[in-house]
Amino acid sequence: MSQGADRQPVLEADALSLRFGAVHALRSVSIHVLEGQIHAVIGPNGAGKSSLLNCLSGFYRPQSGSVRFRGKDISILAPHHRAALGIGRTFQGIQTYPSMTARENILSGFHCRMATGILGALIYWGRVRSEEETFSERAEAIIDFLELEEQRHAVVGDLPYGLRKRVDLGRALALEPKVLVMDEPMAGMSTEEKGDLARFILDIREALGIPVVLVEHDMEVVMAISDRVTVVDFGEVIASGTPAEVSINPRVVAAYLGGNVA
Amino acid sequence: MLPTGVHSLTYADDARILRTSRARHWLAALVVALLAYPAFAGPYMLGVFTHLFITLMAVYGLYVTVGMAGQINVAQSAFVGVGAFATAKLSGYEIHFMLVIPLAALITGFVSIFFALPAARVKGFYLALTTLAAQVVFPIIILALPTEWLGGLVGMSVEPIRMGGLTLGAPIHFYYFTLVVVALLTVAAFNLKRSRFGRAMIAVRDNDVVAEVMGVPVFRTKVLAFFVGSLFAGVAGACTAYFLQFVTVASFTLFASVWYLGMLIVGGVHSPLGAILGVAFITFLQEGLHAFANTLMQSGASGGVLFALTSVALGGCILIALIFEPRGLAHRWSVARTTFQLWPFPRN
Repeated sequence: MSQGADRQPVLEADALSLRFGAVHALRSVSIHVLEGQIHAVIGPNGAGKSSLLNCLSGFYRPQSGSVRFRGKDISILAPHHRAALGIGRTFQGIQTYPSMTARENILSGFHCRMATGILGALIYWGRVRSEEETFSERAEAIIDFLELEEQRHAVVGDLPYGLRKRVDLGRALALEPKVLVMDEPMAGMSTEEKGDLARFILDIREALGIPVVLVEHDMEVVMAISDRVTVVDFGEVIASGTPAEVSINPRVVAAYLGGNVA
Repeated sequence: MLPTGVHSLTYADDARILRTSRARHWLAALVVALLAYPAFAGPYMLGVFTHLFITLMAVYGLYVTVGMAGQINVAQSAFVGVGAFATAKLSGYEIHFMLVIPLAALITGFVSIFFALPAARVKGFYLALTTLAAQVVFPIIILALPTEWLGGLVGMSVEPIRMGGLTLGAPIHFYYFTLVVVALLTVAAFNLKRSRFGRAMIAVRDNDVVAEVMGVPVFRTKVLAFFVGSLFAGVAGACTAYFLQFVTVASFTLFASVWYLGMLIVGGVHSPLGAILGVAFITFLQEGLHAFANTLMQSGASGGVLFALTSVALGGCILIALIFEPRGLAHRWSVARTTFQLWPFPRN
């Protein structure tokens, strides 16, 4: 996996600091996600990984520092505006819309790409109809990509865990993201499901050309698929580099296994 | 689920409201029956149906706000009242009714936005309480305003609808008039559900935290749900005003708001079909019980006790319906249809 120096940064966080009262969730954390890369964020429980992701997608507002998307400062944008710019996000646990079908879940991701007004929605006239058709076709392309054909009309609340996670991923892809932010996609999955999902993540990078930011606990997966790894501990970045580099970094080893670092 | 052998070949086909030709035939039969009904019914039953159609319009609105977007609204009757008073006022300026009804709907929609603003901060029971404020404030404001504006305690008379040489006044006129309006609103309610706003509202109901990160502006969608729900209420109010030809604050009570919610819950909050079934079920149950009580009274029973008992019986029926089908009659209907289609194989 190449480490091209000419790659442009897609999503950057600079010196983010986030406090909840006396708790410092993040202390001056920086991360630079480059075009075409799978960038993993790892660290022990409570290290601040999810806080970092929530700052990237706008759910938390850090007290200081900035978030840039393709060079543009987006620190003050609301989450739905960031989504419209092209920051896709998948969630920890099950966060799909349970009462909708798999296809409706995916279609809901197109909300900010569609132009129908409220009057058009009530009348459902010609142009609204054809817009729905266009986006149904695009939703079907995602269904095809994620191999969800059998489940397209199944109510998501009735699907097993692994499939719901795939619907979650499909909904994020419907945002037509320029970068995909994934929070612990592998948690709670069987080995087979993990293998499938790892393959999808690689496909998203290779076939769709979308860079991925990934928080993950499964080291095997992280080491196998990521191009770059940032290690966070107690709200601070303690190492950053290729998987091979960070896995021999003494501070990383200490953070994971305990012990003092000279 | 669809019967065997029904396939969609286009996406448009897939998005249809009525998927099978059998469903379309049933709808055609229903429309013919409703059109032919006045030939067989007396003015009393036509009045009952007119009232049912108007109630259904208001409950469609509640379906949008409560059913789709999950924003509890216990002030629907007040919003119907806003529509009714707007219609009474506008009709006084000799504006054509084709313009009065949309204007009344829009006025109601904009009034509702004010009461939707707390939805930015509160959910569930707390939001229910803030909408309760709308219901309580409505008569206070009407009574506090100068009598020349909205009639105050006395109320306002409404100029009747004139179409060509015809002035709408007879029960049969109102029957057909409200039938056409409710048919249009039915199509609108079903359309909204399959549009991007329908999905956005359901997304907000199912998981508002995630919806925001997935590109759905949550606050705007909540306000929109109140706005659209009140458009329906406004049309219901306009029809009420034209039907009664007189509006007073006493017609738009908290009691009515709670009934609207009750009808939606009995029918099922998750589809416009639930609104239809709930309104029809409760209206006909009420009428049936009254008719039954009348028959008993003619055979000598005491009226006061009897009519109190009809309310008890009505409450009991609603309770039973909810205990056996908490997800509403619409869900029971879809279960029955699936069972029928899979027969002789068991469901699941």
